[in-house]
Amino acid sequence: MTALNTGHEAVSSVTPVRRRAATRGRAGLAGYLFVSGYAILLLAFGIFPTVYAFFLALTNDRGQFTGLNQFIKVAQDYRFAPAFLNISLYLVMWLLSVVVLTVVVAIVLRSRMRPRLSAIFRFLYYLPGALAGVASVLVWLFMLDPAVSPVSWLLRSLGFADFAAVLSPGDLPVILVLIAFWTGAGGWIVVMYGALNNIPDEVLEAARTDGAGPWKTAWHIQIPMIRKWIAYMAILAFAGGTQLFVEPQMLQTASLGRVSPTWSPNQLAYVFAFQHGDFNGAAAISIFLLALGLICAALLVTRSDLFKVDES
Amino acid sequence: MKSPEPAKPGMRRLVSRSAFALLSLSAAAMLGGCASATQSTPTASPSAAFKPAAQTAGSQITVWADSTRLPAVQQYQKSHPDVKMNIVTYDGSANGSTYLQTKVQLFDRTGNGWPDVVFGSPTDVTWASQPTSPSATAFAAPLDANLVPQQTLDGFAKGSLAPCQFNGHTYCLRNDIAQVVLWYNKTLMDKFGYQVPTTWEQYEALGEQVAKEHPGYLVGAVGDTNSQESYFWSSQCPAFQLEDPATLKVDLADGNCTRMATLLDKLIAAKAVTTQGFFSQGFAKDPGGSKVLMANGPSWYGQYLFNAAFKVPAGQIAAAAPLTWEGETTAATGNVGGGVWMVSSHSTNLKASTDLATWLTTSNDFQANAPTYPAYVPAAKAWLANPANSKYFATDISDVFQQAADLVWTGWSNTKFSDATAWSNVVLPALTQGKTLTETLPQWQTAITDEAKSVGYTIATK
Amino acid sequence: MTNASNASATRRRQTTLVPNLIVIALFAALLLFFVVPVVWLLLAPTKTANELIHDNPLSFGSLANLGAAWQHLIAFQDHALLMWLRNSAVYSIGALVITLATSVPAGYALALTKFRGRKTLLVITLMVMIMPTATLVLPIFLELNQFGLIGTIWSVILPFSFYPFGVYLVYIYFATTLPREILAAARIDGCSEWQLFTRIALPLAKPVAALVAFFSFVGNWNNFFLPYLVLPNSDQFPIQVGLNQLLSSTPSFNPVAGAGLNITSPELALAIIIAIVPVLVLFLFSQRALVSGMLAGATKG
Repeated sequence: MTALNTGHEAVSSVTPVRRRAATRGRAGLAGYLFVSGYAILLLAFGIFPTVYAFFLALTNDRGQFTGLNQFIKVAQDYRFAPAFLNISLYLVMWLLSVVVLTVVVAIVLRSRMRPRLSAIFRFLYYLPGALAGVASVLVWLFMLDPAVSPVSWLLRSLGFADFAAVLSPGDLPVILVLIAFWTGAGGWIVVMYGALNNIPDEVLEAARTDGAGPWKTAWHIQIPMIRKWIAYMAILAFAGGTQLFVEPQMLQTASLGRVSPTWSPNQLAYVFAFQHGDFNGAAAISIFLLALGLICAALLVTRSDLFKVDES
Repeated sequence: MKSPEPAKPGMRRLVSRSAFALLSLSAAAMLGGCASATQSTPTASPSAAFKPAAQTAGSQITVWADSTRLPAVQQYQKSHPDVKMNIVTYDGSANGSTYLQTKVQLFDRTGNGWPDVVFGSPTDVTWASQPTSPSATAFAAPLDANLVPQQTLDGFAKGSLAPCQFNGHTYCLRNDIAQVVLWYNKTLMDKFGYQVPTTWEQYEALGEQVAKEHPGYLVGAVGDTNSQESYFWSSQCPAFQLEDPATLKVDLADGNCTRMATLLDKLIAAKAVTTQGFFSQGFAKDPGGSKVLMANGPSWYGQYLFNAAFKVPAGQIAAAAPLTWEGETTAATGNVGGGVWMVSSHSTNLKASTDLATWLTTSNDFQANAPTYPAYVPAAKAWLANPANSKYFATDISDVFQQAADLVWTGWSNTKFSDATAWSNVVLPALTQGKTLTETLPQWQTAITDEAKSVGYTIATK
Repeated sequence: MTNASNASATRRRQTTLVPNLIVIALFAALLLFFVVPVVWLLLAPTKTANELIHDNPLSFGSLANLGAAWQHLIAFQDHALLMWLRNSAVYSIGALVITLATSVPAGYALALTKFRGRKTLLVITLMVMIMPTATLVLPIFLELNQFGLIGTIWSVILPFSFYPFGVYLVYIYFATTLPREILAAARIDGCSEWQLFTRIALPLAKPVAALVAFFSFVGNWNNFFLPYLVLPNSDQFPIQVGLNQLLSSTPSFNPVAGAGLNITSPELALAIIIAIVPVLVLFLFSQRALVSGMLAGATKG
């Protein structure tokens, strides 16, 4: 893709202004038709729900305007602070591990390993990604149960005599990071490897002739050159992490209730909506999460160069 | 590779402009007059006559049952092949699950999809007997309104339908009663030369003796989602005591709670009581059912736990009357579960649905062989007489069961939230971490109070 | 090579011996971490629940056990598992078709045509693309309810079909591979806009369509939250929600509950394997797709 696009912007900018204006009308109408299907979906499932969530969060179930009262109400709920605390702890651990480990692994795979071997490693790391969602939680329920786990010796030596001990509330963020890392890290390693592959060999060669060792090259050349990809990964991992639902929900079921049913903010929103029948409160929680996500999205779109949409 | 160009300012401006618009919108919102954020409470009068949905004779009925009750429903289907049934397995509201409640909320919103007959917990009846929103109809049909003959309802054990009754109507049929008795392994007790205790003080002393003389053997377990009902309910601890429909008394500092906490702490420290649950994954493997000398637990422990799960051979397990406290004249005991069957008020085939619910709770065909002790008196008699039950136990358990059924303490109420949630996600993890029950009581108190408030109860502590 | 550089290479090798060991240890640990659970999962259905607890966790049981587990699983709720798989296929493929039908023309138009609001649409697409979708599920639920769609297959397919990332991929693809001049020349030759799209753009779109299809299918197949909310009946569940029901209503993870069912750990493991087979097959061939998809934005620079 890189090679193909280089000439395009330059050429299009010299296109005579008059012809552009002429085609605008015809292509404009066609453009509307082409985007219409998508635009309807965007309106229905992107924009409208967002607006509706705001509307719900600012009113009560009688449709009266409540200002910020819904937000205050949910923020004062006894489950609110723990849920957001849980998710923050999880996010910190998850981001640290995913950023550090995937980058280190990708660099080693790229520069210190024979290509054939590296390909095998990448594939094996990537494979668990097929077990995302419910399947990954179920697999890890087994992995973490000393009664059936293939690493029960490890669990026991860490002081976990039974499944209940593994699932103590303090361990939960770690468990969720393990699950997320198991399914997600491989894909990111592959992507980071791809990004590293885009660095021309001459650059690395030049560094080597300058006497830079592999670690120096990694630190001074490779990491800076894939910096924006690391940022992209971090932001997507963050946005994804805020939405934890199925993982704690299934751990709650499998632990026979030892895990709180409102461990994550999304679960709390779910409880508000479907147990208390309070969709307005649930929407307020969603808005808090949405705000987090929107800040990320805005950061990514405005601050990074990843999504340049200004080609003319 | 070209160095990335900075985004054009036009783009940035657009983004920041829309962000600004959003901000000013919300700022405007904050300034307006604000109504209260509390939910309106459904004001539908429950006394209003029950209006069934349009009935279609012979239409299919959907049944939701837990996996333990599944064979019963299948048995009904086999003996009534003409009834069209769709049988769905779900968690049966065990362990404080709210699956049924959340799904009914959903059906109330969509206006269809309700199952016709469901197996649930007594907690479910608290919400199922009320509409979920002002426009909805309560999920559970009032069964006393021309659906189940009064004569049948009268056949249920005294008080067993209490969790089903709201505003003078009966919204469910009780599947089983789960009065707590003292289970013990008679063979082991005889072998060790122990007397079956009759008071908690004797139980405690025996537990400490077992710990010394036969380490590894257990006189109880507190790690199940319902252990609090076996112990604290039996101890008459005011943890979930409704003073009136809107006021809940939660006082875990009460002497009735602390005495049980102290007793269990001693036995846990002595390793005669485990903080694992009988129903936890690891228990069957290690230590296993053969190490259970005594277990204060519900009537269904006999068949369900000792026979089916622990596979203790016949002729070993026996039950003794609920323990009393020294100086107290009247014994009291707890109750663990005791499922209910509800019929949906939205069913288009109330006849078949009611017939199924009635059969499931009253027919000897199923109840006499059930793993649980029937709430319906004639079925309970048949259950006790069933050789599968009478032969399995080492002693005649009839008297103990019947006596205990009348001793269930009524001060532990059926609240709008499950009593399992706080116990299992606050107390049990603390015990697993090595904390004592006594030091966890304040946390438990807070958890129950928080939960109660969130569903609208006023809290009384004294 | 000169002697000097040889010497420095040797020196480098010596100084990197310890880090090398660390790297090897890290890679071995990661390899075990990623692979052992998969191997365990593949072996689990060949054993009985009892063997799972007592035998070597990574041993092979017997094919007979596997057959038995399959029988038990199929018998659960009268072939519910097959029904869930079929539902998953209907939802994922249905959504995929609509996604492709909407995102390919939209991405094309965003990249190669001019119309008022194009930039706004692009920015909104990017914002929505990165926004956590789960937070919108509750309002989407209420919206679907307004239209009486809850409990119908559309309540899953339509929200699944909305896939801004797909539009973005197509947009990047066309913006970088199809020069505007070709279209301009074709316009002069008298091609209508529709002909431009079908004759020039569509044939070129195959690779990116495959890419969008991969991401959309995998995402939808694994989605849990939306169907969990909007589908009340277990006959309508996709496999992911079905697995959850299998977990909560059977003795699979609670060996003493539910004496009436044969769904224990090996059956659950088999169910997991069956549930992921379609995605696994795609994954075996998709590594390259993942890289080109995720790097689509970067290579533009």
